[in-house]
Amino acid sequence: MFVICKREFISLFKSIKSIIMIAILFAVSYYAAKFSSLLASGVELTAGEAEDIHTIGLLSVILLLGQLFVFGLSHDTINRETHERTMRFLVTRASRSAILFGKFLGIWVFWFVCIAVSFLLISIFSKKFDLFIFSQTMSLVTYQAALAVLLSVLISRPGYTMFLGNILGLLLPALGFWAVFSPNGWVNWMKFFIPFYYLERDDFTFLVILALAGLMMLAADAVFRRREC
Amino acid sequence: MNAVETKQLSKAYGVHQVVNGMDLTVKKGEIFGFLGRNGAGKSTFINMLTGIISPSSGTYSLLGIEAPGSEVMKRVGVMPDYSSFYGSWTAMEHLRFFSALSGSRASKEKCLEVLRSVDLLSHGNKKTGKFSFGMKKKLGIAQAIIHDPELVFLDEPTSGMDAESAILIHRLIRQLQEQGKTIFMTSHNLDEVEKICTRIAIMRDGVIDKIGTMEELRAFYRSTMTVKMKHSSVPKHEQTRLKQWLESAGTLLEHEDAYTVITISNEKKIAEMIRAFTQCKADVLRVDVEEPSLEEIFLDE
Repeated sequence: MFVICKREFISLFKSIKSIIMIAILFAVSYYAAKFSSLLASGVELTAGEAEDIHTIGLLSVILLLGQLFVFGLSHDTINRETHERTMRFLVTRASRSAILFGKFLGIWVFWFVCIAVSFLLISIFSKKFDLFIFSQTMSLVTYQAALAVLLSVLISRPGYTMFLGNILGLLLPALGFWAVFSPNGWVNWMKFFIPFYYLERDDFTFLVILALAGLMMLAADAVFRRREC
Repeated sequence: MNAVETKQLSKAYGVHQVVNGMDLTVKKGEIFGFLGRNGAGKSTFINMLTGIISPSSGTYSLLGIEAPGSEVMKRVGVMPDYSSFYGSWTAMEHLRFFSALSGSRASKEKCLEVLRSVDLLSHGNKKTGKFSFGMKKKLGIAQAIIHDPELVFLDEPTSGMDAESAILIHRLIRQLQEQGKTIFMTSHNLDEVEKICTRIAIMRDGVIDKIGTMEELRAFYRSTMTVKMKHSSVPKHEQTRLKQWLESAGTLLEHEDAYTVITISNEKKIAEMIRAFTQCKADVLRVDVEEPSLEEIFLDE
């Protein structure tokens, strides 16, 4: 599992797409933190909000574009290998669960490093490392990575997951906010399956997002075990 | 201990039964050849044994272990029927990654040694995206043996290779056997199978049609051999007697003045036949005995 994790992690750093995304992430973190005092002076904020103002830029990017970023890099993490038959070399050496969780872990560590560096950049200005918001952000990325892996297992063509990934990446934040704030019962129930509802609160309910990610990975594992390569 | 053992192993896609209750045993140290026409179920059978697809029913064991998991597979090398590699990686990177995945982490020297054995030493640092079909086949074999496995599955290892490379691979397969490894290979090249395999199975319509050593297959297929004889002319008054004798000995295919072709069932009949010619005042000048080739056995319905 760790061999696959390491390979996935390194290969994510090698693509042009990932370099662009990392650059966006770092730029947003840096400038949002740098100019957060300007933002704070223009708006009335509570003491807690004022404290979190430095991380708002990064959190907004992850909330609104995170799914798009994760899908952009990892929409074909499983189906590309199945499609191109390189998966045959993997399944004859490692268990399917080890492949699946190894790939997931590789994606997760990649985002962990990117976000940790972004938070460190922010901490230059805020003079503190906000572990709570960092954990919330990581829970969100965990969900997004698990969803990308699940779709990559369910849909066999990389072209389809790329298309669906882009649609979902744009739609999911909108759907998330709609589900959270809409009184409509037909829409409202969805909030329990989308992470935004759990990020609203300043407590540890964001851990539910990790449970949702775990369920998606278990579903992906169950499907992948039966899948022909 | 058997290297491979299957019991009633089957694979069906809907109503289409691709492999139908296969019972097969491959002993350790064998080079086992698996033959069959396209669509006979050879690759499906190998894919089930190597975990690429799961069987619909039946059981199998590899290296004496039932329902083998990833731990057993670390002692097994597989070259799948269609080898595709990561185009942006070099051959060396592939070998290092696959050996690490098999838990052996091959050293640079080991990788170079394996690349040399498949004649890819000078291409070790080339990206595989630029490899020809034959080179990919060679790398497919290299990755199957990089972790020093006890059992190696090779699905059509020499198809698409030039004759020189194919000979090199045959030599390598024999060397692997000498090291005590078991080779399970499929091929469309009947000559290749006949030359290097210690035992052969012919698969037809999802079941094993014939199995055995080349000698056993010949005996099984047709308990006959074709004998071609050049001889001096038989005196006219002896011709009927000789013809009657020949017809009683086997199937007379051709019987001319100085040339006779007959199929017989027993090797001992050759000596008797020479005696019969001598008794009928004819000298036997030359005897050619032809046994059935693998091609004939393969093509026999």
